Amino acid sequence: MSARYGMVIDLDRCTGCGSCMIACASENNVPSLPQATARTGLTPLLVRKVSNGEDGERRRAAFIPIMCAHCEHDTPCVKVCPQQAVEVDKATGIVMQMPQRCLGCRYCMTACPYHARYFNWWDPAWPKGMEKSLNPGVAVRMRGVVEKCNLCHARLHAAEEKAAAAGKREIDPADYEPACAEACPTGAIRFGNLADPDDPVSKEARSPEAFRLLAELGTEPKLYYKSKEAWVRALAESNSARNSEVQHG
Amino acid sequence: MKLTRRDLLAWSAGAAAGLIVTPIPWKILDDTSIWSQNWPWIPQPARVPVEIRQSHCTLCPKGCGLRVRMAAGWAVGVAGMKTHPTSHGALCPLGFGAHQLNWHPQRLREVRHRGNASSWNEAHAAFARASSEGPVVIIDGYPGRAASSVYESFAEKNHGEYRVFRGTELRSLNPYESWTGVPVTSLGYDLENTQTLISFGAPLLDGWGTPGYVTRLWSEKSGGVDDPQLRIIQIEPSLSRTAARARQWLRIHEGSESALASGLARVLMEQNLVPAHPPIPAITISDAAARTGWSEDAIQELARTLVSRPPALAIAANENPTVAALNVLLGSVGARGGIVRKEKISHAYVSASAAISTARAVLIDSSVPWDFAPQTDAEIFRFAAWNGGPTKADWLLPAPGFLEELTDVPTAPALPVETYAVAPALVKTTFELQSAAQFLVGIDSSLTPPEKTIHDRCADLFKNRSGTLHAPESIAIAKIESVQQLKEQLWKGAVWVGEASPPGGLKCELKEWPPEPIPATAAGWADSWQAPVLPPLASKLYIESNLRDAPERRNA
Repeated sequence: MSARYGMVIDLDRCTGCGSCMIACASENNVPSLPQATARTGLTPLLVRKVSNGEDGERRRAAFIPIMCAHCEHDTPCVKVCPQQAVEVDKATGIVMQMPQRCLGCRYCMTACPYHARYFNWWDPAWPKGMEKSLNPGVAVRMRGVVEKCNLCHARLHAAEEKAAAAGKREIDPADYEPACAEACPTGAIRFGNLADPDDPVSKEARSPEAFRLLAELGTEPKLYYKSKEAWVRALAESNSARNSEVQHG
Repeated sequence: MKLTRRDLLAWSAGAAAGLIVTPIPWKILDDTSIWSQNWPWIPQPARVPVEIRQSHCTLCPKGCGLRVRMAAGWAVGVAGMKTHPTSHGALCPLGFGAHQLNWHPQRLREVRHRGNASSWNEAHAAFARASSEGPVVIIDGYPGRAASSVYESFAEKNHGEYRVFRGTELRSLNPYESWTGVPVTSLGYDLENTQTLISFGAPLLDGWGTPGYVTRLWSEKSGGVDDPQLRIIQIEPSLSRTAARARQWLRIHEGSESALASGLARVLMEQNLVPAHPPIPAITISDAAARTGWSEDAIQELARTLVSRPPALAIAANENPTVAALNVLLGSVGARGGIVRKEKISHAYVSASAAISTARAVLIDSSVPWDFAPQTDAEIFRFAAWNGGPTKADWLLPAPGFLEELTDVPTAPALPVETYAVAPALVKTTFELQSAAQFLVGIDSSLTPPEKTIHDRCADLFKNRSGTLHAPESIAIAKIESVQQLKEQLWKGAVWVGEASPPGGLKCELKEWPPEPIPATAAGWADSWQAPVLPPLASKLYIESNLRDAPERRNA
């Protein structure tokens, strides 16, 4: 049975701590380069602070983690890639980025409606000796390629290997959880199989409080958000980037 | 056959057109891309098996449970231990990059004496000479460890003094220590049973206390819930992260938290909303309203809210006797859901910030924040794993970094129950370093080494047969068969949790309403981060996104 991995992020539980951002970078051997800025850094998962635009006591804030939404239908980045370096994995629904094929033309970055893709401007580098702290399961990407969230694909590989070693065809869902969901201290980021109607995440995605950013584009993103706050929902439905306090490339 | 120029052009054009339909150019393109990603100077992770080990974070006294991924003897990833009884799988954001800290360029790798390279032998000789010439003050930022007992013993034997640096959570408990006589290290906030939590600027959802303990409670009882079991009311001048997620954010003028606490107390007494009647504060409700920028009605409304869903608890961002007095008035001291006493009473420690009158030398443990500078002319021996920049210390002594030494993990500040865990040395070291405790044992061999004390403490836990071991399933300590079994479990990441003390046992009566303190700032996880450097990945928070402002005194 093919899966459709996705996430539901409960914005009412996100405190904007940023644990998910660091856990993501650590898991995926994303370097931290002194020359990187808010426009040129690699942040496959970026938490944006948004507000209701009011002043004084009426001001309210929320935090919206933005990452690749793993669009299911007419995936914009897949359609524009001249190198077939991006594809939607039929078995999992994960939008895969293959850095070995990427030429760095950045069409996909332009096409991505969520601005969730990042260009590798520099050779990855770490202070002397720190390469020993890199995650052995993930290869380091070279400069000149585009990167994005792949739902910690190395963890999926590990879960598949474990299942294969046990003679099973399907992975144990408990063996596969992306680093951001694992790191979230409040359980705001929840990961699951949207194709399984009994999966708690799948149920949450179908709840009336769930919504998707830019759903009107019809790309069927598999990243859902939840909030009971009317202004957050209204903001998401209008255009989150327009009201964002953070301007990010 | 004569080859004409036209033939040559036609052949070239045909070859060029034909080449496109062959795989050659695409293969070259593909390979170029692959080659250019595998230059020898691009680091690649070692292809070695990964092993999972459980341990505890020792970078600050909160002792969060860790799930460490190890490869070839090095830590290659850190996550929270979900089965941990107090941290519940959460870490502060910086903790997720802690495994990179041991390789930080500012790692202290050699003994330094007033800016020059020195040696351990010279440092030993200098400290031995100083301790023979006069009293020594030893400052610890993480009391209750086996290493702390070495410091206490050394100070006692050499007519010196042992002092403790208190973080903001402990400082917020200071007034209760002076009113009840119970040391702050034996006091805690029983948040599990609190229903209304009024925070005077404390960053409750931003790393205050043990981060996972508070965020888990909030997430389960309050986050996104229509009728929460835990209502957080945040009193703060600006919209902080906690204010953004609190049930209610009430904006207040900068520095007027104490005026509000006193004003609330006045309303509670004047309107007989509470049975207890300690001395009445001097401030009137109208004065409090003017100071805070609120209306009198708003203060009265908040006072009624506080008593509408008990137990209510007020938490200050720092040491604040007026907020503490409000708790006395609310009946929250020594009560369920309030400030409680732990089962075991430790003795009171002298605060590190107290003036040092006479000392020949001051030894500062690596757990004390780098920017803490004792006011003294004595010779300062500063242990640190990382060099945090300009310092008054005469000696800089390289200490073990992240998971590089065996240490025990006593109860985190402000927790309502006692805990005990062990963090074994998981990571290799590549140069000579010593902890302050090893240093002192090297000078005075009659001191009990920390390793022996940890073993003795395990034996005591086994002998007392009290509490529960979370390993990760809960096992009553009475069911553990031997000390060896207990030690094996603790070394694998298990946590001992003591019995919760019954409410009561704290008597607190105010003789006069306390004066307003000088406003002090709150400390979230970024401020309670004791290492003087941040993991390089912290740039994701501070530079590569605009999520947070970088702490000014840190070096990223």
